[in-house]
Amino acid sequence: MDMEMLLRAVVFGVSTSGILFLVSLGISIGFGLMRIVNMEQMIYYTFGAYICYTLVTFTGSFWLGLVCGVILAAFLGFLVERLLLRRVYGQELMFTMVVTFSVFLIGIGIIQFVWGLAPKPVASPTEILVDIFDVSMPLYRLIIIGIAALVYILIQLLLNKTIIGRALRAGIEDPDKVQGLGINIYKIITFTFVVASGLAGLGGVLNGPLIMVGPYMGFDMLLYAFVTVILGGLGSIKGTLVSAIILGQVISVGGTIWAPFSYLAPFVVMFFVILIKPTGLFGVVGKAFGFEE
Amino acid sequence: MKESVRIIGGPLLLVASLIVARILIPTKMNFITEISIFTIYVMGCNLLYGYLGMVSFGQPFYLSVGAYAAAIYLAYLGHNPLVSILAGVVMGLVIGLIFGPFFVRLRGDYFALVNAAICAIGLFVFEKLLLPITRGDDGLWYRARMSAIPLLDIRQPANFFFFVMIVFAIVLILFRYMDQSVLGVSFRAVKVNERKMRFLGYSAFKIKWIGFILASMLSGLAGALYAVNFGFVNPHLGTPHRSAEVLVATLIGGAGTVYGPFFGSFAFIGIRDVVSRYITRWEFCVGVLTLIVLFKFGKGIWGNIDLLIREKFKKKSEMARDGNVSCSVNRKGDQ
Repeated sequence: MDMEMLLRAVVFGVSTSGILFLVSLGISIGFGLMRIVNMEQMIYYTFGAYICYTLVTFTGSFWLGLVCGVILAAFLGFLVERLLLRRVYGQELMFTMVVTFSVFLIGIGIIQFVWGLAPKPVASPTEILVDIFDVSMPLYRLIIIGIAALVYILIQLLLNKTIIGRALRAGIEDPDKVQGLGINIYKIITFTFVVASGLAGLGGVLNGPLIMVGPYMGFDMLLYAFVTVILGGLGSIKGTLVSAIILGQVISVGGTIWAPFSYLAPFVVMFFVILIKPTGLFGVVGKAFGFEE
Repeated sequence: MKESVRIIGGPLLLVASLIVARILIPTKMNFITEISIFTIYVMGCNLLYGYLGMVSFGQPFYLSVGAYAAAIYLAYLGHNPLVSILAGVVMGLVIGLIFGPFFVRLRGDYFALVNAAICAIGLFVFEKLLLPITRGDDGLWYRARMSAIPLLDIRQPANFFFFVMIVFAIVLILFRYMDQSVLGVSFRAVKVNERKMRFLGYSAFKIKWIGFILASMLSGLAGALYAVNFGFVNPHLGTPHRSAEVLVATLIGGAGTVYGPFFGSFAFIGIRDVVSRYITRWEFCVGVLTLIVLFKFGKGIWGNIDLLIREKFKKKSEMARDGNVSCSVNRKGDQ
């Protein structure tokens, strides 16, 4: 394999990492804060992509589609959290999983009803190729990397510099104590949920031009997102970032070496990590074993 | 003696009523066959979710393992459908033995998601990796290769119906027996309080492993029966997209009961057949149905029927016992 291909694979892998990071961050934080596994997170991903598709088709502006997709996905997340998920906090983990999974199925059904079954293409906003070390790269991939990096920095600033972020981090550690301090944990949860679903929507919008927008795109991404989250450890933001970077490279470079690897390798990597360290890379020690709490 | 009559009686009554239904409504024979096979599949999920409290989003994988074991035997190795069904069950056992130790150690949510991942891998393996053997999306066809077996030629749908009924009765009786045995009780005990079980000296790991093996064997059996019934198998039997079906059927019927899976699959396949006449994709209905069942009828169909029956009998037994033990214990606790 020559250097040119390797470099291209690495950059493509980083952009894949960016999207994986965006969509799985919400699941990770959501688990840490609310102790529920957000299976329905991927519906915001699909919804954001479809909103972007609609706006690109009607107005021709991708960036307008991006903004609207993110805002509407966040709003949808707000509605779902307020109307439904609020009732299941504190329930058994299995119960919440089945509930969120059925919300996900309902979402897929509605999307099929509104937009139809056929996958839709979204035009890429730029077709410009940029030369890096004599290797031409699509500018759009670099834009994805830039946006993901920006989001990571903003999330870090939010968590470390603002009071709401600090309350959020404390909530991940111990929700009861936060409530004891007089902070309304439910407001924090709603805020987190809106941010998380907005990010999932952003991931969907950005991924739209790379793949076809279809009703089942969320299902395919769900598995990858969960592999990312499990690999990094549920509830850890740093872990999510690291595992997203690893998986992006595994998918992209692995796929360059042998094509089926791009589909299979993430699962294989996850299996090995889970077998060696069942909590994931940065998960809380002892929590993943049912027996060894 | 009386106990064994009780264990055999219920399942035989159910199967007998199915046979009567088949004689009364001959056009619905395929429907009844499908329900019975699906019930065996749902029983596997029920064992995991209802008894052990573990959700698995990867049940289609175990189903397709059984189906492919039967199909590959029939398409390449032999002609006997009975052996192919046995192959499906044995393959389920092997898969359960191999994957069990790794999977059941994981906490509930990890268990569910790792199963979903293995389901995706399984789809890939059957569709792409084993392409020369499974012929990918085209599927395997082998109806012509099946030979008649003595006594019952199960290539005929009418005979296959009776064969399925026999298998179904045996599985139900065994399941009913398991439900009453120490094993069934320890399954439920692990679900309620695992730590206490360990404290009492039971190995929760072994109990879960046994449950996992039994569940994958049931799924494998169902898959093999599917394979023989349809005479063809393709990878889409095991797509992760369909993992919700079996969970929903479990929930509708009533998780953690013996007859729940039957009522669940009856209701689920019935609703699916009616709805799919109007809407080609019915994820929406599956989702709404699950939410309604989860929030309004937590016990499911059989759970509620069971409750009614128990209440009727309770009055008699209360008079007979004269002093209600559980009540007095509660009162003591209150003071």
